[in-house]
Order: sequence, then C-alpha cells, then structure tokens
Amino acid sequence: MNVPILSIVTFLPLAGAVLFIFIGRERENLLRYLALFITILTFIISLYLYFNFNAQTPEPQFVEKAAWIGYGINYHIGIDGISLYLVLLTTFLMPIVILSSWTYIQKRVKEYLIFMLLLQTGIIGVFVALNLFLFYVFWEAMLIPMYFLIGIWGGHRKIYATVKFVLFTMLGSLLMLVAIFYMYSLFYKATGTYSLNIFDYYRMMLNPSVQIWLFLAFGLAFAIKVPMFPFHTWLPDAHVEAPTAGSVVLAAVLLKMGTYGFLRFALPLFPDALQKFLPVLAVLSIIGIIYGGLMALIQKDVKSLVAYSSVSHMGLIMLAVFALNFEAVEGAIYQMLNHGLSTGALFLCVGILYERAHTRLIKDFGGVSKQMPIFSAFFMIFMLSSVGLPGLNGFVGEVLCLFGVFKTSTLFAVLGVTTVILAAAYLLWMFQRVMQGPITNQKILTFKDLRIREIVYLVPIVIMMFWMGIYPQTFLRKMDTSVTHLLNQVNKREAIFTKSQDGKENYPPYILIESEDDKQEPPKEEEESR
Amino acid sequence: MNNIYALSPLLIIVAASLLVLLLEVFIKRENRNYLAYVSMIFLIACAAVCAQFWNRFYSYFDGNLILDNLSLFFSFILALATFLIILLSMKYLTLQDTNYGEYYALLLFALSGMIIMISSRDLIVIFLGLEVLSISSYALAGLRRSDEKSSEAAIKYFLLGSFASAFLVFGIALLFGAVQSTGIAPIVEYFQSASTLSLMALVGLGFVVIGFGFKIAVVPFHMWTPDVYQGAPTPITAFFSVGPKAVGFAVLLRIFYPYFRDALDSQLIFSLLWIVSVLTMIVGNLIALRQTNVKRILAYSSIAHAGYLMVAILASDRESLVFYLTVYLFMNIGAFASVIALGRKDHEYLELEDYRGIGFKYPWIGATFSVFLISLAGFPPTGGFLAKFYVFSAAVREGLISLVIIGVLASLVSVFYYLRIIIMMYMREPAYEVDINIDNPALFLVLFLCLYGVLQLGIFPGNILVLIKQAVSSFPLL
Repeated sequence: MNVPILSIVTFLPLAGAVLFIFIGRERENLLRYLALFITILTFIISLYLYFNFNAQTPEPQFVEKAAWIGYGINYHIGIDGISLYLVLLTTFLMPIVILSSWTYIQKRVKEYLIFMLLLQTGIIGVFVALNLFLFYVFWEAMLIPMYFLIGIWGGHRKIYATVKFVLFTMLGSLLMLVAIFYMYSLFYKATGTYSLNIFDYYRMMLNPSVQIWLFLAFGLAFAIKVPMFPFHTWLPDAHVEAPTAGSVVLAAVLLKMGTYGFLRFALPLFPDALQKFLPVLAVLSIIGIIYGGLMALIQKDVKSLVAYSSVSHMGLIMLAVFALNFEAVEGAIYQMLNHGLSTGALFLCVGILYERAHTRLIKDFGGVSKQMPIFSAFFMIFMLSSVGLPGLNGFVGEVLCLFGVFKTSTLFAVLGVTTVILAAAYLLWMFQRVMQGPITNQKILTFKDLRIREIVYLVPIVIMMFWMGIYPQTFLRKMDTSVTHLLNQVNKREAIFTKSQDGKENYPPYILIESEDDKQEPPKEEEESR
Repeated sequence: MNNIYALSPLLIIVAASLLVLLLEVFIKRENRNYLAYVSMIFLIACAAVCAQFWNRFYSYFDGNLILDNLSLFFSFILALATFLIILLSMKYLTLQDTNYGEYYALLLFALSGMIIMISSRDLIVIFLGLEVLSISSYALAGLRRSDEKSSEAAIKYFLLGSFASAFLVFGIALLFGAVQSTGIAPIVEYFQSASTLSLMALVGLGFVVIGFGFKIAVVPFHMWTPDVYQGAPTPITAFFSVGPKAVGFAVLLRIFYPYFRDALDSQLIFSLLWIVSVLTMIVGNLIALRQTNVKRILAYSSIAHAGYLMVAILASDRESLVFYLTVYLFMNIGAFASVIALGRKDHEYLELEDYRGIGFKYPWIGATFSVFLISLAGFPPTGGFLAKFYVFSAAVREGLISLVIIGVLASLVSVFYYLRIIIMMYMREPAYEVDINIDNPALFLVLFLCLYGVLQLGIFPGNILVLIKQAVSSFPLL
C-alpha cells in the first residue's frame, strides 16, 4: 500500500488551512462551504481506515515511518484499536462543528475556519503519533488554535479563560517533556542509540523508583487534560467562554487526549508506579464524579452545567481505566466515544438555544419545547444518552465501565454509580426547567424551531447514538485485541519486575527487553524509512 | 594551514566599512540608500567567502586568527544578521530622521569586531575584537541624538560596558599571571592539568566570565539591557540582541567546552554558572511579566534566553548551543522587524496598548509577529521549540534535571508575556486608530526570511544540523 492514507487524514485539514490563506476574507460563504467540504472529505477518507482495519492484531496499522530530524526524531504514525475510534470521532464531529457555527460566527470567518482546520490536524496528530517527539509536537501545537478560538470568538471573560487554559495545559506538558527527556537519555545510555519510538520505550523496564517520578510527570499532564479533580478548574472557564464549536471540540475530543495519554503512555510505560498510585487515582476519580455532579446540580448557566457534567463523566472513565480489567478499559474507551457524542451534542443544543435567546441562564428559559418541538426531541435524546438510558449509547459504556470496576472493587463501583444518579438528577431537572412548564419569558415566543441546517447536523449524531446503543459490536470488536494487548503489557511487566526484585535491592534504573521483531527484521525497517 | 586567505572575511568587512565612510562624503543625503546597497554587496561577498572556506581550516598570525568551521559558521550567520539589520534600517532611518552615513560603517565595524572575536583563540585578540564591537555599539546606541532615551542608552551602555571591559582585561591579566599565556589552549590545559588551582587563575577566569556575562546579558550583569534596548534605534536593538550575544556565547563555548569536559576541579565555576543560569531564567522572565513596552518585553525576553543558552553551556553541548543561537537570530530579528513594521514617521508604536486589534488590521504583520512570539515562547512546530528541545534534552542527558525543571517552568512563565502581545493584537478591540506605513518592501523581505528561517529550522532542520555538526566537530582546534 503506497498511499499514505493516515497522513492524508492528518494533514488534509492543514492543507485546507493553507489554501484558505489565499482566499479573500469577504467570500465568507465560499470559505464555509470549502471548510465543510474539506472536513467531510477527511471524514470519508478516514472511513477507509475503519473498513480496512484488521481487528486481529494489536500491532499498529497503516504505519508510516520516515526519517525526519535524526537523533531518534522520526515521522512515525499508525493506529491501533484504541486510536482508530478517536480519529474517527474527530473526523466525524468536525463537519458537524463547522455546520453548527455557520451563522453563529459572523466576524472573522476566515481566521475562524483556519484555526478550526489547524485544530483538527493537531488533534488527529496526537492520536496517530507513535514517536514521542511527534506526539509532543502535536500535543502542544494543538494549543495554539484552541487558544485563538477561545480568545477571539469567546464570551466576556474569554482572555482569562484562554490564558488559564493554555497555562494549565502547558504546566503539565512541560513537566512531561522533562520526563520524556529523561527517558530519552536513559534509552541512549542503555543502547547507545537515540530513540523516541514508543515501542522502544515499551521494551524499557524502568526501576520502580524512577517510574514514580516519570509517572507523576506524565500523569500530571494527562490529568490536567482529562481533567481529573483537582486539576479541573480550567475546564468550566474554558467551556463557558469558548464559542459553541470550541466547546464541542473541547469536550468531545480534547479531553480524550488526556485519557488516551493514560492508555497509550502512562499505563504501559510505568506499570509499577501505576500500582502504587492506583488508590489515590481511583479516589480522585470518585471525587471528580461526585464533585462534578454536585457542582452541575447548582449551576445557573446551562453551559457550565454541561461543563461540570463533563468533569463527572470523565471521572467515571478514569475510574474504569484504573480498574485495569478488560471490561472496564473497553468500557472506558467506549464511554470516551459516548461522552464525545453526547456532551458534544448537548453543547450544540446549548449553542442553538443561545443563538436564539442570547442567554444561557436557566431562569431565562421555560417551556421552550412548546415553541421548538423538533429541537425538544433532539435535546431529549441527547440528554437521555448522557444520562445512560438503555438503548442509547451511554448505557452500554456505563454498564461496561461499572461492571469492570465492580470486579475490582465493590466500594468504588457503588460510588461510581453516582455518576448515573447525579447525571439523571441535574440533566432532567435542567431539562424540566428549560424546556417544560409554562412560558415565562415573552422572548421565547419569538423562537423559531430548528432550521434544516441544524437538523442536518444533529441527525447523524442521533443515528450514531442509537447504533452505538443497540449494536455496540460494530465498534467494540475492533478494540478487543488492542485492549487485551494493553492489559497484557501492564500485567506482564509487573511479573518481570517481581522476578528481578527478589533478593536484590540495587537494580539498574532500566532493563531493556530484547524484542522478537528486532532479531527478525531490522534492516527492512531501515529501507522503509528511506 | 597558515594562509593569508584567513584574513579575507575580516578584510572584506573592514574594506566595506572604510569604503562606506568614504562614499558618504560624495553621496547626497537623499541617496544614502546606496551606502546600504554597497554594504550589502560586501556582506554577501563575506558570506560567500565563509561558505567557500568551509572545512579548510586556514589560520594566520601564528594561529592567532583561525578560521575553523565554528568561526566560519558564526561569521556567516552574523553577516546574515547584519544583512537583515541593514534591510530593516533603510526605511527606518529615513522615517526616524537618523539617516547618518556613519550608520552603516559603524554596523560593519561592529561586525568586524565580532568576526575577530569569533576567529581568535587568544584572549588579548578577543579583547581587541570586543572593543571594536563595543565602541561601535556605543555610538550606534546613541544614534538618535535628539532623543533623550537614546543618549541615556549610549551613556549607560558606555559606562557599564567599559566597566565590564575592565573586568575582562583584569581577568586576562590574572590568567596570564597564573598561566604565563593568554591563549585559550594553554589556559584550558592549565585548568585541566594543574593539581591545585591557584586562586589567581580562578579569579581570573571568573573575571573573564563577568566580562562576557555583560555582553551576553546574564543576571546579575543585565542591568543595562532594558534601557539600552529601549533607547537604541529599533534595528540596532535587534542587532544588539543577537550579535554580541551569539559571539559572547561562542567565545564562552570555546573556553568552557574543553574545560567542563575534562577538568576535574570545575565544580566551583560550574556551580557559579549554574546559579547565574537559574537567576537569568527566573529574573528575566519574571520582570518581563510587568513590562508594558514591547521593546522592554523583548529585552527581558532576550535576558531569559541567555539563561537557556547558559543551560547549554553547562551541559557542554555544543550543537544545541549553536542551533539555539541560529534559531534565536531568526526569531528575534523577526520579532523586532515586526515592531519596526508597526512604526511610522516620527513615531513608533511601542506600548502594548498600541497593539490592540493590529492583528486584524494588518493580518500579515500580525500573523508573522505571532509566529515569532510563539517561537520565542517555545511552541512547536517552530524553531524555538526544537532549540529548547535540544538544549534541555542535552542537559537532562548530563544529569542536570533540576536545572531543566527550573528552565521549563521559567519558560512557562514566558508563555504568559508572549501571549499577552498576541492577546493585544487579536483579542482586544483597538482603542484608537493606529496608522502605520506599510510601504516598505525591504522590511517585508526581512519578515519573510525570518519566518522562513523559523519554520525551516523548526520543521526541517536537517541540513543546518549537519552544518552545525561539522562546525563543532573540528573544534577545539588547539
């Protein structure tokens, strides 16, 4: 296969953004249609990945490798069963997001669309990168478009929110960078060659005491991104101030970068440190679940309610990740997709309301469903999906997560269930206050129901929600081997260390396992890279 | 190889400056741009000669002037920097009414001083080069004669500069007393082999470091920087921020690379430099937070960058240091070029408030300025990120983890003030009309070249890295 399909998916939006520079800013509709076209094209190409994905192997697929800067810095991308869906989620949501801001964004349309497209490249890049340098480049580069999206098109406190967002994220990621340097130098000392290849690092067994620091550095970066309690404070600000499309991308995809980071890096690289921190991490997740839920209950603003619901839901996902068994991890990945869809959709609904009412305060609404019956139906479905109603996607994910957690710890599972209870409470109550009851505000009488454009971008989400809720096999079966492989990595490495641990107190900071692939065909890889 | 060719880059520049001085008499005031063209032709010639001599290792004056690859590399990029500065100045000088004929000659003299410094391995010769550079710099800083700030800058620079020169000479004298030589090679050898170091030698070395610390503006020798940067004409500020810094670090590299690599008893000097590096990163970045004048922000940012460069010295990693300096040259000149682009006749827009809404009014200037700021802040995929990546990863490899953690946290702080300029440009509505003169093709050429440099070095630095590797591999040529 010679077509670099994964690179095309990653960089097509970037190419679009470059193209945009040469189009006059006054041709706004052309720009919008072009952005829509590019994102839809990206989505269609990314479907190729899904259909040609081999579910039997945990190895990364569609791998592309090329020499880049040297010193271990290579262009190396590929996807496995975990990143496949996150890439698809991104490409799926992007056209929707572009459509949703069709009329909402009226000023500086050109720059807005450029940043959206850059953002897409950044996000997909994070999910496909298999070289730590490349990963870090995308991880950081993606901050810049998001910074502008919140800062230029955001609400009243946009500057505060966007600076906080950037500084929080950077704090974590810079410390992660130091940890990357450390592993980079360890690998160099162990082998005499430079490498930033993630698979080389998987083979490097680190001394548990070293692992602790590295895990803390990586974990902090990812925990801020997820965000886990107590690093969540940037999230409500960023969500509330961001334009609708920004919130959707932030909630649906950006937060997943954190959980993805845990799955791809923190878990398999530092399993011993992980074991030490598991109780703390689980408790933090639970606090996140309950705290996020309670905060959501008392919010006056619909958007910040949805934002806090994110904190709560992401808590459940993290709890499931840390349960470290098959059901839980698979449930967590599935729930990542569900959360992307349902929270993204809820933000879209808030955006639709805001475009009509220019307010997001719950008390300004009431009885909207009388005026907007179609919207009401959509909103209801999204809300129920987020609550976890059987038949919709949220249910499958939550059940898997909770089953898995239950296997590990009954107490945590019981506490974890509060996500669902609290979600039902704050979402239904919000729905009741906003959509039902008498129309108290005369302004609501002027609301028009959904336009065709709005229906067009909401319908695919509804279809996906039912599909994922009724027949999850389509999605789950392609994850199985990757998840099993991941858990094997985590568990096998523990075994190795317990063996080498007995009797000895002083062991080197790293042990390098020879991999079988190395012996078989190292020269071939060299050729490919050229 | 002892060969008179070794003098040619230097001779070209000196000839150019003398010619420009002479021509000035015959050229009418409104035609002074021709002086710039003449200077640029000679700079191109100098750069071409440097490229031609690559890998040839000429030397002259009994080896007191050597053209190893390192000095060729630096001569080349300094000639390039001067070229960019001249492009920046052409319109600026007319607009600011400071179009003196000496301007270009002084710039070229300063460049020749730098080439002397970079191509010598004797401290006395280095000192001579430094003086040539410094005296031209003092004059350049005070070029806007009618402006109080400019005169203040010149006086301040002169007083503190001579003080630093005195330290340097004193240090050289002490080293001579201990080592019986002023050559870098014998001095380094002395430090490596002496069983007990004499206090005199250590103090001498310390004084030399202080002398250079002033030029590269590390804390606590940075006091002059903000005022001089603010007062000097903006192209000259750009010149100060890259030229002397690059040379100072190159000379320090010549002294300290072999020293740290082999000397046993380097702990004292090492910890002193460690402290200097940490202080520079912290103080530079923290004070920059409170500034409201863009030139001052860039001044403190250049102090902070000196701190990161010190990390490379401490890690004694030559390649990352040279790479960082190369990237720094492009991004800093680019940033100052953007500031100049936002000026107009008799007035420069330098306060943060002036930048409100500029990004949308002048999209190209805004976008390029943002790229330079993002690069200075160290975001990928710009050169600034890769430079920091190399420096800090080299330091971690040498086990300087706490230093690197301080470094990355300091650069986190720096993100805030770089972003503040971007916030002004894109996220605030303009409070008043800012009217600038955008009819300046030379300046846009500079912006474009710097943008190209920053992105090329950030995304495909391959060829430059190979050159840098060659530049430092032939070294130390003792």
